[in-house]
Formats: sequence, structure tokens, C-alpha cells
Amino acid sequence: MKVQITNGMFMALIINMLYAKSIGLTQGIMAREVGGDIWISTIFSSIQGIVIMAIVIFAIKRLPNGDMIDQYGQILGKWIGKGVAALVFLFFLGAYGTIMATFVYHLKDYFLPEAHTILFIVAAFLIGSYAIHFGIEVIARMALIGVFSVMALNILLLAGSISEFDIKELQPTFDSGFFSTLWASRHHDADWAMATMMACMILPLVRDSATWIRSSTSGLIFSGVIIVMWPILEVGVLSPEVAAQYIVSCMQMARSAEIGLFLHRYEMIMIAFFALSILTQIMMTFLCSSIAVQKIIGLKDYRPVIIPVGLVLSAFSYWMIGSHHRAMGIIEKEWVLVSLSIAIGLPGMLFVLGAIFKKKLKKKEEAKTV
Amino acid sequence: MMKKIILFHALLSVVLLLGACSGKREISDLALVMAVGLDKGEKEGTVKVTAQVARPADARGQTGAPSGQSGEPVWTVETEGSSIFEAIRQMSSMSSRRVFWAHNFIIVINEEVAKEGIGDVIDFFTRNPELRMRTWVTVTPEKANEVISTVTSLEVIPGEALAKLFRYTTISNQAPRTVIMDLLSAYLSESTEPLLARVAFETSKIDNKAPDKGAQTKQVVLAGAGIFKGDKLVGTLKPEELRGLVLFREKLDSGVAVVSCPDDPNTPLSVELTNQSFNVKPKYKDGDISYDASFKAHIRVVEAGCSLDLSNKKHVKKLEDNVEKELTSQIKTTVDKIQKDYGADVLELGKVFQNEYPYEWKHYANSWDEVFPTVKINLKVSAKVESGSLLYKPTTSGKKEKKEE
Repeated sequence: MKVQITNGMFMALIINMLYAKSIGLTQGIMAREVGGDIWISTIFSSIQGIVIMAIVIFAIKRLPNGDMIDQYGQILGKWIGKGVAALVFLFFLGAYGTIMATFVYHLKDYFLPEAHTILFIVAAFLIGSYAIHFGIEVIARMALIGVFSVMALNILLLAGSISEFDIKELQPTFDSGFFSTLWASRHHDADWAMATMMACMILPLVRDSATWIRSSTSGLIFSGVIIVMWPILEVGVLSPEVAAQYIVSCMQMARSAEIGLFLHRYEMIMIAFFALSILTQIMMTFLCSSIAVQKIIGLKDYRPVIIPVGLVLSAFSYWMIGSHHRAMGIIEKEWVLVSLSIAIGLPGMLFVLGAIFKKKLKKKEEAKTV
Repeated sequence: MMKKIILFHALLSVVLLLGACSGKREISDLALVMAVGLDKGEKEGTVKVTAQVARPADARGQTGAPSGQSGEPVWTVETEGSSIFEAIRQMSSMSSRRVFWAHNFIIVINEEVAKEGIGDVIDFFTRNPELRMRTWVTVTPEKANEVISTVTSLEVIPGEALAKLFRYTTISNQAPRTVIMDLLSAYLSESTEPLLARVAFETSKIDNKAPDKGAQTKQVVLAGAGIFKGDKLVGTLKPEELRGLVLFREKLDSGVAVVSCPDDPNTPLSVELTNQSFNVKPKYKDGDISYDASFKAHIRVVEAGCSLDLSNKKHVKKLEDNVEKELTSQIKTTVDKIQKDYGADVLELGKVFQNEYPYEWKHYANSWDEVFPTVKINLKVSAKVESGSLLYKPTTSGKKEKKEE
């Protein structure tokens, strides 16, 4: 029997898939472009994310038993399906690089500066491989705990920073102009892309297809709310200039937080809560990449490719994060272009193709059900 | 097969758990820095870094009852180098433990160093992942190494005592509350200039064994603020000049004003200002920038050397007028000094204008330095008598009253 996850688990996966990088690297990148308008850019991006997710769901719903690669295969043939699988793998390869940059720059730069980068790569490889060996249900259950941990992290940060918060810092709105603010949202869109591409791959495993839209929209709105708290606090507490100065701007918030006179420097507690989100990202990227490679090769199960896929992802991320400037350059420029092209292009095209080949898909769906 | 699975899981757990040991630091191997002082080095172009390190065994006991037997709760060491980092690295050659900055309370910068620029200080301490972003930063006209080594107040560790001087500054208003995060933020800002608290020595401690000699020992006290332009110290403000400045930047719990008695101009009367609120609103008309500033406070009479009857409306009105005049004069004097003498926008007026008029600000962003000294600030102060603290009737001599009868 095919393993399935509940809609709640799907929501939890969306939240975790978005959270870590969005608060970690993206806000600093956007602050370098639009300064104090980062929180508006984040809201814009959340709305765009909801639209793309809706497109993904409508597209996949036409053949709810097959993921995006299967659907392309059904409509345009096997080889196109394999080509799409290759693009999906390329997407998750890049996504893994950005996730590892978030993971390593948080832990190594702020907590373990003397630890070698390879240690983090190996740890991520082991955890990722081990988790996906047991399948999506294990990851999804962990993601549920992850939702509580990101909420705990948000509450801790809020409690430790609210006394320094100055709402006037949020003014002026659209200081950098409406279109620049909108344009800067592409960086956060690249984070949303990870969640929507993940949905393209795992939606058929989500139990109740009738409520896909409801659960995904709820997940996205909830993610948007917990993420937007960070840019608002970064602008109101740190100032946009300080947020823009750092690679990991959220860590400046974390190490500035104090609750009363006696509780400070609790970023170690906060990073523990943060870890579940980033680990979910690592695991899901491993899973989606392995499924993509499985479909390129034409295997029945993805498990035989876990190790080789993991090695490729690890090697790429090791190269990418070896230099902070290289990693940030890729994340700010090339990654946005590649990720958005794939994450908007593939589901968008599938949506259009699905509309054109509606009858063909319906017949195949009926044939499958019979 | 089962054995292999168990072995795999055991190895996986070991690898993951022991991974955290990489780069570990045992607490007993750390020299916990409590305060840092920065002075000019003996050689031209060098910097002298003084670090005060806690000796936990001696610091945990009461003063005079050390349990580590050394009698010294801190170990203070200074090194010199052409950069802060070089000087700090030299400390490792004389410290038996690894110098650890995460618990540092305060950074004290000598004014000579500050006059030459503290860009490197800001950069170094904000790059360092160990240092907390709410570490206090101050300037001092004294030698910073002496300031951080002087046992002040009730604390065993001088660094901790210096940090605790800031705990009640929202009441005393003797210095602004400046942390490294604010310093960085102001330094990076387009308009706002950095402002740092100032500490100095004051001979105020009386020796218990020779009280007849009066105060003989130096203590570190909060002593106003240092005003920067860019990264260079350009001037200082005395504690009594601070009210006019701090109102623009911080939320103050309360303040004190000494005015003359309503019916006796030669007798002082002290009032506490509570429920203070301060608002600045920018105005832009025909290319002219001005600000409407309003300060409101409640007056609580805390010390009256004269017969002050709060049921007497004339007295109350006169007292309110006196307080308003005093506050207006204090604020105006400081603002004038900052605008005319230093020309450094430590009042955050540029930011206020930018928030309200973002498009107009773009014209002034590059020339704010020249515009700031010319902007007009229309100040309105309103102070209302709230209470005479615990007393209902004025404290006057009963005999005197009888005599009058």
C-alpha cells in the first residue's frame, strides 16, 4: 500500500520547507536591495506563493495519483517526462546548496567556528539519507514537531526583542519604490519555490485531495505570518542597514535578544528550535531529488539511489558553501533565475497542458481507477 | 543482519553525537572577559587593548572573602598591536586560558582613540560572533585601562559594576544607554550620527577606616555623552545637558528638575517628572524643514525648601510655569549646542524627516550635514502638577505658625 500523509502533515512540511532559509539568508539579501521595505516584499512574496501553489494544486489534481513528472510523462511522453525529472533534480540540487548555506552559516559561523565544513555536510548527508530511507511519513511527523518548534522560536525572539522594537522604523513604506519592493520579493519567491516544487512531487501522497487547496493555503498563510514577523522585527529592532550588513541577519536578532536582566544569550536554545525546520528542508530535498533520479532511471523505488544522489548533493553544496561570497552570489543571482524559471515554468506549463489535454488525462485517470 | 543494523545505528548515533565535540571549549579552559578597554599604544599608530578577565573562584565570594585564595576577583592584562585583533591575539601568549568574549559587559574607548576614529572598533566587535550585540559601549577622557580596572560600587568585578551603572539610567539621565547594536546602526545610517555614553572618574568613595578624611577614592561615574561625526568623536555633553538629547532618542521613565519656589525665587524646589512623553513631528513647506516638538510630563514635588501649598492654584500655576521654563531652556540649550557646535545629527531628526517625507528626503540625503544645523525646532513644553508625593499639607514649622497667629 502506498504510504500517505495527512493534510496536516502536508501543511507542516510546507511551513518547515519555507521557514529556515526565509528568515536566515533571504531577509538580509532583500534588505540590501530595498532596506526597510523587506517586510512588504515578504508579504508580496507570500501572496505570489499562494497563487503558484494554487496553480500547482489545480494542475496535479487533474491526475491526483501522479506527481508532476508522471503527468508530463502521461501528456507529452516518456522522454519529456525524464527531461522534466532532470529539471526537477537540477532544482533540488540548487535548493540543497542554498539550504546547506543556511545550515552551515548558522551553525559554523556563530556556534562552531573551528569545526570543519565537511562535518556539517556529512551530518546532513547521514541524517538526510537515514530519514528518507524510512520514507515521507517519518519526515512529515517530524515536520509536525517542527511547526511547534518554529512557533517556540518566534515566541522566544518576540519576547526578547519587543522591548527594543520601534514601530517608527517601519516607516517610510515603499521608500525604495513600489516596483523595486515588488521586484525584491523574487528572493523570497525562490524560498516559496522550494515548497511549491515539493508539493509538485508529494501531493499524490497527501491523503485527501478534496482539501488540498484548503490545507496548502492554510499552510502558506501560516508560514507567511510566522516569517513576516522576522523582517518586521529586524527593521524595527536592528534597522534595515544592520540587517543588510550581515549574511545571516536573523542571527543578529537572536544574539541581541534578552528577556529581562538575567535571560540573555539564549540563541543556543533558539537554534535548537530552528534545527528541525532546516533538517526537514534537508530531508525533503534528499527525498525529492531521489524521486527525480529514480524517475530518470526508471526504477520502481527511490531507495537504491539515495546514496549516490546524496553524494552529488553533498559535493555540490560543499563546493558552493566553501566560499561565503560564492554562495551568496549564487543565492542572490543565479539561484533566483534558475529556481523561479523551473518552479513557475514547469507547473505553469503543466496547468496549461492539462487544460489542453484534459480529455486524455481523464481517460488515463479512469483507466487507472478501473 | 540484525547485528549489522544495530552496528549501523550505533555508529550513526556516535558520529552525529560526537560531531558536536568538534571545536568544543571546556569552561575551565576559558578566560571570561568582563570588560575591554581601548587606549592609544605607546608606539605611534598602535592600539592598547586591556582585557579584564574574571577569576571565577575568587569572584564568587563576597568582597574580602575570596575562596580562590588569590584575593583578586579579576585578572587584568594589556597588550599592544597595530590592530585590535593583533593586540588581542598577543593576549593568548600570556593567558593560560583561551580568551573568551561572549560574557563581556562593556567596551570602554579612550577619547583620544575615539577622536581618531572608531570604525575599526565597530567593525571588529560586530564581526565577532562571540560578542553580544547588547554590550555597552562608552568613551572616557581617562585611560580606559584604569577605568575598567577600578573597583566601583558594590560589585566584585569592575566590568559588571560598570555595566550595572546603566541599569538605572532611565531614571538618572546621566548618560545615554548605548550598546554596540545602536552604535553600528547609527554608524551605518544615512543621517543619524553615533552617540556614546561617557564615563569618568569622580572622587566619591569614603574609606570606612578613615571617614574623617572624606571622599578619597576614585569611582567610575556616568558622565554625559560623546558625540560622533562618522566614526570620529567631535564633542561631549555634560550630564546636565543630556535631557535635551536623550528625549529625542530614548524613552525615559522619569527625570528630575530643580526650580525655584513659586513665592521665593531664592529657595530651590525639586520635582520629579513622571509620565513623560515626547513627540517630534517634521514639517516641510516651501523647501524649509522644521520640527514641532512637544514634551509633556507630570510633576511630582519631591523636595520643597519653602512652604508650597498645592491647593493654592496660584502656586501650582507658578510652579508649572517655572518647570516648563526650566525644561524649555535645558532642551533648547542642548539642541542649539548639538546643531551649532557639533553639527552632528545625534537627535535622529534626519530619520524622522525621512520617515514622514521619504521622497523629499532624497533631495537632502547627501546634504543633510549642511541642512541639519539650520533646521528650526519649535518646542512646546507642558508640565502639570500631579501630586506632592505623600504630603497633603506643606511642611512648615508649627512654632512659626503659632507665632504668626
